[in-house]
Amino acid sequence: MTRFLVRRISLIVVTLLVVSTAIFAITEILPGDVAQMVMGQGATEQNLKHIRETLGLDRPAPVRYLDWIGGVVRGDMGDSFVQKIPVTQVIAPRLANSLILAGFAFLVAVPSAVAIGVWMGVRQGSKTDHAVSVGSLVAISLPEFVTGVLLIIVFSSFLGWLPSSSAILPGTSPLTRPLILVLPTLTLTGVLFAYIMRMTRANVIEVLNTQYVRTAVLKGLPMRRVLLRHVVPNAMLPTISVIAVNMGWMLGGLIIVENVFAYPGLGQLLLTAINTRDVPLLQTLALIIAGTYALSNLVADLSYGALDPRIRLT
Amino acid sequence: MATTITSTLETTTARIADADQPLLKVDGLSVTFFTPTGAVHAVRDASFEIKRGEVVGLVGESGCGKSTMAYAIMGYLPGEPEVGGAVYLDGQDMAELGPAELRALRGNRIAMVYQDPALALNPTMKVGLQVLEAISEHLDLDAAQAAERMVELIESVGLPDPERIAESYPHQLSGGQQQRIVIAMALACDPDLLLMDEPTTGLDVTTEATILDLVADLKGRVNAGILYVSHNLGVVARIADRVVVMYAGQTVEEAPVRDLFKDPRHPYTVGLLSCVPKPVADTGAVTRLQSIQGSVFPSAQADPGMCLFSDRCPMATDRCTGEAPHPASVSNSHESRCFYPDKVSTDLWDESVEREAPHENGKEPTLTVKGLHRVYGKWQRKYLFFGPKVKPPVRAVENVDFNVGAGRTVGIVGESGSGKSTVARSIVGLVPRDSGDVELRGEELPAEADNRNADQKGSLRMVFQNPTSSLNPKLPVRHNILRPLQKFTDMSPSEREERACELLESVGLDASYMDRQPLQLSGGQQQRVALAAAFAGDPELIVADEPVSALDVSVQAQVLNLLEDHQREKGTSYVFISHDLGVVRYVSDEILVLYAGHVAESGPAEDVLSTPSHPYTEALLSAAPVPDPDATPTPIRLGGSVPKQHEQFEGCFFASRCPRKLGDVCDNTPPPVQTSPGSPTHEIHCHIPLEELARLQDGSVATPAWSPLP
Repeated sequence: MTRFLVRRISLIVVTLLVVSTAIFAITEILPGDVAQMVMGQGATEQNLKHIRETLGLDRPAPVRYLDWIGGVVRGDMGDSFVQKIPVTQVIAPRLANSLILAGFAFLVAVPSAVAIGVWMGVRQGSKTDHAVSVGSLVAISLPEFVTGVLLIIVFSSFLGWLPSSSAILPGTSPLTRPLILVLPTLTLTGVLFAYIMRMTRANVIEVLNTQYVRTAVLKGLPMRRVLLRHVVPNAMLPTISVIAVNMGWMLGGLIIVENVFAYPGLGQLLLTAINTRDVPLLQTLALIIAGTYALSNLVADLSYGALDPRIRLT
Repeated sequence: MATTITSTLETTTARIADADQPLLKVDGLSVTFFTPTGAVHAVRDASFEIKRGEVVGLVGESGCGKSTMAYAIMGYLPGEPEVGGAVYLDGQDMAELGPAELRALRGNRIAMVYQDPALALNPTMKVGLQVLEAISEHLDLDAAQAAERMVELIESVGLPDPERIAESYPHQLSGGQQQRIVIAMALACDPDLLLMDEPTTGLDVTTEATILDLVADLKGRVNAGILYVSHNLGVVARIADRVVVMYAGQTVEEAPVRDLFKDPRHPYTVGLLSCVPKPVADTGAVTRLQSIQGSVFPSAQADPGMCLFSDRCPMATDRCTGEAPHPASVSNSHESRCFYPDKVSTDLWDESVEREAPHENGKEPTLTVKGLHRVYGKWQRKYLFFGPKVKPPVRAVENVDFNVGAGRTVGIVGESGSGKSTVARSIVGLVPRDSGDVELRGEELPAEADNRNADQKGSLRMVFQNPTSSLNPKLPVRHNILRPLQKFTDMSPSEREERACELLESVGLDASYMDRQPLQLSGGQQQRVALAAAFAGDPELIVADEPVSALDVSVQAQVLNLLEDHQREKGTSYVFISHDLGVVRYVSDEILVLYAGHVAESGPAEDVLSTPSHPYTEALLSAAPVPDPDATPTPIRLGGSVPKQHEQFEGCFFASRCPRKLGDVCDNTPPPVQTSPGSPTHEIHCHIPLEELARLQDGSVATPAWSPLP
């Protein structure tokens, strides 16, 4: 176990290093820089040079990168080029908003997907099963910006039940207006639900055909007990890794959903950071996203190890 | 433990309403499945009875409907099959029971033991809980009583330290222990009827013997009827009171066990009996194995109104192909589904063809294996690259030496985990060796197959256990045989085509098989194609790793005879690996007994299998089931399983399980190699002097004490 953790955590550190180098390199290659973005097209060469000097952009790229990494190691993520305040201060409220949205989506999608997946697995081949299968395929195929817009058309424009924009005043929490969370949550849930539901259904079908389930049935156990004690725990094992992968994947969905609904979260911030070449902000956001991916996979492996007695993490 | 179990036993006995009534009566049962490709007649016409306290063996080749019958009795059949006839439990027609009544019966009055205990147990649930479930579902006990009964049950199936075992997960137990748990689960509610579906088929022969002892012990202890399904006649001979033989979904013969083995009255039974090579030292096998030609009447065909065995029967007449026979009484309690039961005799198949003598052992061996070592894995450290070493590598094979002469066969026997397959794979270069030499006619071979040239690869070919997975299912038979011809010979395409047909014919398949897909063939036909492919480059040596283990006995005999014919004709040498002592005895000139990667004993076949033997060989011989109900094997049993060898043994590799262990010397000093005075090539690696071993093994000395588990 120690061995496993040592190996995995060192790998995560390496991954984050590679990600940060890659992001840094890409911002170097892209045309335009933060000075140009801040000053606009009319800026004089003098002005640009001044800004580059104050931000330290006149130094060679490797020096700037090492300088930044040095800061990260000391816990200093740097200042935003554009907003001139520490990156952490820019990110903190946005991170909270995104976590709220992602948390809701997760809480809605996972339990319902697992429950319906088990039910469809047991009722394999029935009309309901076919209907749900087709529905989930549609949900997987539609990108978030389509589902999001469809939901807006139906629930805000047509029915007028829910607000179409989820924008909130800076400094206020989305929890004060829970209604604005409904549509973004539903949009995010769609794909997540479909994936987990299909995975659960497939695993339940597989486990139902195992010999140990036959043993349980021939012990004379009632079907409900066979399902709860023998089928579901075993069917959940592979599903857990799907859930974990989806957690990382959901971050990608967040970026789109937040922009569709004008919701002030990390996704929106990321887009701004890219447009303004705000490298310190961009780097930090990239690290958060990559770190979430890596950690969710680690959590998946650890929970797998905890739930399946056959797995020993070494 | 006894209190609860005996008290429930009394109520069981009280349930018997009518003493004359059989516990189970299967009457004209038929089961037809409907698949997309047509109807499958799994069981056609089966009738038999089981009384209380009786073990009925159900034998037959695969595809004869044995397992389907067991599940039909349980009322558990996939899909919606058409079921004809009837199954009565204590006179109650099972078809009349509703789902809830059936559920109340399952695990309670009828319980089942399965072929593969590793698959039959839920991998993520502690075994104690799985036993407990069966108890609390049917018996009206409070939690504490149920838990107490669970521990008693686990103890009653010969598992020591039941509390600890109950807390284990299935993968933490050995195959034998898992099967004992499944049996404990089946005994949970003192069933009236116990159905055992090939319960020892997946186990090692030593473990099989201990499980069979347990079943024999159960017979005396519980008042249940037991249906024991097996393809292995030796196993059935050991434990059954009566035997039912099935063929193509029909019960063809039924008799008390002695009658069936000594005086069979159906040609199929005789055929089955004459296919089996016997693991006895002195039957020096001078006559060829008999085999039943053809294959089982296909279950996809509807009943043709004739004897289903007639196309394979040496005594079939016009009557047999024109009219269907019905089971008829031959004598008291002996029935046969044959028109001519009186003409059936045990030498029906015995044409007594004498075997050709094997090639003499020449001066120059074809294959020499010297000091072979193979380790799997590396030392693992606590913190990846730092910290103390925590887990050593696994030593699969250590210091194995042997020679194979031209045209000779060396048999390798041992339990799973003994390193047999590693030796085989090292020879052909599938697994690189860590040290030691493999020489082909004095020329050293590179360790890995990739570094060997075409000539070396073509000279050493391998045949695997499971032809279904060793032949490429996407390519026709043609490709499987032409490919080695193309690689290892310089024939022109037309010559290759011609040679491929010859090869197919030499394994008894005609040229029409060239364009078939492997999956369209039966297991025996597939293995013959694999043999033809192995013969293709005229190899000097063929390594056969359990080549007949996946085959039915009649097909097994055909394949063994084919191998022998090829050897006699071409002078090919074989390394023949098998867990079946009878088979190894039949084919081998020399035998190597492996245990935990070490050679325990080696030498000429007849010397290895007669006294004095290494205690491990002795235990293997004692455990091997003999298809003769009168055989009285010495009850030497090994507990546990082959140790996973993480560290080099201080003393003797077999000390932890040896029934004849002397004492500290076995734990501390590696055993010396002893050579019999009469046979200089017969080597025994043991501390016990040979004269002492011979004296102990001649049966005059009391059998050693053994425990089910160390």
